[in-house]
Amino acid sequence: MKKISIILLMIMLVVNLTACGNNSNKEEYNVLDKEWKDILEDAKGTTVNFYGWGGSQKTNEWLDDFVAKRLKEEYDITFNRVPMNIDDILNKLLGEKQVDVKKGNIDIVWINGENFYTAKNNDLLLGSFTEKLPNFNKYIDKDSPEVKYDFGFAVDGYEAPYGKAQFVMIYDKVRLDKAPKSHEEILEMVKNNPGKFTYPAPPDFTGSAFVRNIIYDIVGYEKFISMEADKERIQKEVAPAMEFLKEIRPYLWKEGKTYPATIAQLDNMFADNEVLMTMSYNPNHVASKIVTGEFPETSSVTILNRGTIGNTHFLTIPYNAPNKAAALVVIDFILSIEAQSSKYDPENWGDLPVIDNGKLNEAEKKIFENIKLGKGTLPQSVLLEHRVPEMPANIIPIIEEIWQENIPVEGE
Amino acid sequence: MKRNSYISKVIMCVIIFLLIFPLGVVLLWSFVKIWPWPNLVPRDFGIRAFEYILNPNNKSIRILCFSVCLSSVVTVITLLISIPAAKALGVYNFKGKDFFKILVLAPIIVPTIAVAMGIHVAFIKLGLANTVLGVVLVHLIPCLPYGIRILTNVFEIIGESMEMQARVLGANSIQTFIRITLPLIAPGLLSAGSLVFIVSFSQYFLTFLIGGGRIITFSMLMFPYIQSGDRMMACSYSIVFILSTLVILLIIEKIVRSYYKGENYFYM
Repeated sequence: MKKISIILLMIMLVVNLTACGNNSNKEEYNVLDKEWKDILEDAKGTTVNFYGWGGSQKTNEWLDDFVAKRLKEEYDITFNRVPMNIDDILNKLLGEKQVDVKKGNIDIVWINGENFYTAKNNDLLLGSFTEKLPNFNKYIDKDSPEVKYDFGFAVDGYEAPYGKAQFVMIYDKVRLDKAPKSHEEILEMVKNNPGKFTYPAPPDFTGSAFVRNIIYDIVGYEKFISMEADKERIQKEVAPAMEFLKEIRPYLWKEGKTYPATIAQLDNMFADNEVLMTMSYNPNHVASKIVTGEFPETSSVTILNRGTIGNTHFLTIPYNAPNKAAALVVIDFILSIEAQSSKYDPENWGDLPVIDNGKLNEAEKKIFENIKLGKGTLPQSVLLEHRVPEMPANIIPIIEEIWQENIPVEGE
Repeated sequence: MKRNSYISKVIMCVIIFLLIFPLGVVLLWSFVKIWPWPNLVPRDFGIRAFEYILNPNNKSIRILCFSVCLSSVVTVITLLISIPAAKALGVYNFKGKDFFKILVLAPIIVPTIAVAMGIHVAFIKLGLANTVLGVVLVHLIPCLPYGIRILTNVFEIIGESMEMQARVLGANSIQTFIRITLPLIAPGLLSAGSLVFIVSFSQYFLTFLIGGGRIITFSMLMFPYIQSGDRMMACSYSIVFILSTLVILLIIEKIVRSYYKGENYFYM
């Protein structure tokens, strides 16, 4: 008995060793040195694994129904969407980097902000690839700060823009006749409706954006754009905003003793009529929630007169993507007029396009103009007029820290 | 006496209500579009979520079938390992038996995340990460304690006397196992198998980490919706999740019972 088990163990170990040997000997060619024609040829008949957040039905449907179908027709590429949160994706890539896996299984990652910063700093990405993409060269304004910088961090072509988002606040016209347009009006509103307003506690993504937006509204955004990540300096600059948040606190939901932990919770509280407003980093969020029936038909968005924060979300390719050629082709397709306009249509997803309007001809402009705006949303031109840039990625955690120190939250 | 039975009936009804009621709410929410305060009944109903699940483009049903197969394989392997281990723990006496009994529970006591990170790195080195085999292996970790503990109790009850009797009468070890041991522990296998199946079927984190997105199970589809607060979607997925587990368990029970029909149960 003992002998048999030892022999079994030895066989297992040998099998393991050979399995390891097989993995590491593949020769890698550099896809970025190839001609676009050859890349298209290589991509044909292959599968692409797209990893990204999977919590929105609309987004998932757009990828599964439209993108997957068109890629198959046009390029004979099979599109495989994998729902995974960005933290898990990064952990997976970091783990693979640690043991130097040459061939992973993620081809495309949906990413931005701090996560991109982490990925680029840890050499988890393929490299500068956007110059390779015909549609990027044709339609994207390469000098726009929204393409060149991601949360204040240089992109250097390591990721291609995917869509644009902008912070908006959502209210129901029936329940609230005048939407607040500045922090003063927010104060007035909460005083008139005590217990009917709140925001998700940072570090929730949207709650954190709300706090930053209040900071911008009170002290302006210009000084933050090139600010060093120095906590004392930031603390001094944001002090008036923290005072304001303390001032509205007693009028908030549950007297500000506790805050919703996630934006999902606040959305549901708004749907359930528990609070008067919710907020979103996607201006078309309200339209898709009306389509799915979760928000009342009379829901609408409002923005602050001094501007709301906008950002761009991106697509990137990991260093060990198994199918880099097809990943390039897919990203190029997503930057096409067809994909961007389909994505902009609130019936499909309603995400703002990244294409530079100045680079379109009349017929192409018409395509975007003809798309009917979603219920409750604001036209793109109004949003863009009130768009202010994000803070550098490394300041954001410091502001979240300052919020936590200033606004004590009781345990739930 | 009569009063007693009345009270116990009431208690039973309350317990059943407490178990069923939350499920009823989940079922209701899977059709509710909007249900604002202070309405007592939902304002609008719809079948958006079930339409989505049944849409072949997002592969929900295919992934459901795959998850069922995966968990079945895990269940079978777990039971195969559990039977000898449980027999040793339940019937034989050896030094450090109590220690081993507690050690078996270690995978439930030690936080999975702590161990899983290390396992992931090891699996990458061994080429097991992102493979079905790797996921099956890693599912065994949380499943084995349940399998072994339940079967240990079963073996403690039935002891070894029946098997010895068979051996005395000339049966060899394989015959003894198939004709004596297996029918004896069948009901125990059923409950252990059911529990193990559920544990494996609802694994999220381990599948995620070791499967790396290559292996997608049903709970991985469901989780993002629960997180993003889309209650209709989350509830519909939950309903499908609960129903499919229930159906599988009922089928297994039916098969086992009809197979051993007419044989004596020595306990149950």
